[in-house]
Amino acid sequence: MKSKILKNILLFLAGLAVCFICDNLGLIKSSYILVVEYIGIYSIFVLGVNVVNGYLGIFSLAHAGIMAIGAYSSALVSMYVFDSIFTFPISILVGGLMGMLAGMLLATSSFKVSGDYLAIITLGFSLIIKSIVQNWGFVGGSRGLRPIPKYTSLIVIFVCLIIAIILVNKFVKSKYGRSILAIRDNHVASELVSVDNKKCKTVAFGLSSFLIGISGALVCHLLAYTNPASYGYTTIVDGLVMVYLGGIGSITGSIIGATVWEILVQALRGIGTWRWVIGGAIMVLVMIFLPKGICGNRELTWNDMKRLWAAIKEKFGSLKAAKSKASGKEGK
Amino acid sequence: MGEKVVSFNNICMYFGGVKAIDDLSFSVEKGQIFGIIGPNGAGKTTVFNVLSGVYIPTSGEVKYRDQVLNNVPAHKITANGIARTFQNICLFNDQTVLDNLKIAYYGHSKYNVLDVILGTKRFREEEASIEKECLDILDYLGLKDFAAQKAGALPYGAQRRVELARAIACKPEVLLLDEPAAGMNPAEIEALNQLIQNIRDHYGLTVLLVEHQMRLVMSICDEILVVNFGKKLAQGKPHEIKNNSDVLEAYLGKAN
Repeated sequence: MKSKILKNILLFLAGLAVCFICDNLGLIKSSYILVVEYIGIYSIFVLGVNVVNGYLGIFSLAHAGIMAIGAYSSALVSMYVFDSIFTFPISILVGGLMGMLAGMLLATSSFKVSGDYLAIITLGFSLIIKSIVQNWGFVGGSRGLRPIPKYTSLIVIFVCLIIAIILVNKFVKSKYGRSILAIRDNHVASELVSVDNKKCKTVAFGLSSFLIGISGALVCHLLAYTNPASYGYTTIVDGLVMVYLGGIGSITGSIIGATVWEILVQALRGIGTWRWVIGGAIMVLVMIFLPKGICGNRELTWNDMKRLWAAIKEKFGSLKAAKSKASGKEGK
Repeated sequence: MGEKVVSFNNICMYFGGVKAIDDLSFSVEKGQIFGIIGPNGAGKTTVFNVLSGVYIPTSGEVKYRDQVLNNVPAHKITANGIARTFQNICLFNDQTVLDNLKIAYYGHSKYNVLDVILGTKRFREEEASIEKECLDILDYLGLKDFAAQKAGALPYGAQRRVELARAIACKPEVLLLDEPAAGMNPAEIEALNQLIQNIRDHYGLTVLLVEHQMRLVMSICDEILVVNFGKKLAQGKPHEIKNNSDVLEAYLGKAN
């Protein structure tokens, strides 16, 4: 038990060191680092979306609006209240907490409404937030808010991601995590085995929106500016795609989803608008062959990785053997 | 006469023009196995739904000991001590049998969100004790081998028992069993008969039983309530009910 904690701490420190080297020594092209940073931020974002859309099984489209709330509130704090790299955690926290507040308010709408109607309510929420920031002169209207201090670095993202993973992991293993899975399965039965549905939904929405708010705070401090257009339909769709691609109800799935989708988006940048066509096609294929996503409702463990590695090795081994056999025959 | 655990005082439950329960009064004493029978559509399951908080009665008063349950939300009623099983099995199919039971401990665990985030001692201790108690219940019902299996993948009879185990995991004082013998063969019914009596004695429960299998009802119930069209038709000991002319008429029709 103790050695396991020690191992985790060592791994964490090693991760920090790697991030520090990448950030400061300039060994890797900065455009690549930017992609990694995006992957980290979107992993936090997808973890948040996954808590409500995956574990709780409510089809919510509020994540774009909540991300906007997190981004704008933390940006305002950094610009007008605490303008220093050392107080950056406060800005992030404010972004997360404001998002959480909005999310918990939204949770009340899920008490009575469900399914398509709730999707419409949450979509409306996202669009309302977007038009508010678009028409509010103080936050720059549709020109966007700038200059936001550029505080986000790989280290900050790494630490936030680790915290997000720990939070979701603890939540899932607690009574709340078990209960929201029960609510997803059968909300009448869960209420009748003493689960407080309303409270569990509120907690789930709160955690989800907290993480989404944090991702918003990180992304606007990374780009040094933010505008309403970044929180439109594209963000909503991106969030859903990453969740359903990676796998609902899975922490590793969320991170895999964010990674695969982000790399895909970057790799297909060269072909312009066509990337949405290819991305969409991949999405359709995934839905047909892996309807639960890459690892739906389960976690990818070290043992899975080992088994996968062994399978790959075996396949390559047999290929090699076949090849050498074939070439041996030719030699004769 | 023992103390009254559950009492219905002039309960009416109307759905629009349909009178599912019409002016029904009865009370159940502690430790009893109380059977509710009646023809199809007589309102038996509605009685359970009113008692467990799924429906709020149109008028009248449901009481659990001295507490009026009319406006108490369903999850609180369960946490207070009235647990139930369902006519159609309602397990959480995607989760393991053990997790199905753990979910039922929600109402009895006292740790809060902060305990979860900080991983406090209270959180760890409670989780450990929940796991232990759930395994004990599974052991008692002979389900320990299934603990790690997905509930939805179990055979029908085992699912019925898991549902019973989950209801017991709510730590109830009153257990409502909605047609526990549905779809069982005579040997299984005989086993169920024993099981219900055993858990009543072992966990000190009061059992309310809705059932169509007369053999089961007549052999284990201490008292039987007969409902027809939402009204009380008769109430009494099994042998009294067997010979009651009103009951025979409701089931078999009038003799000319």
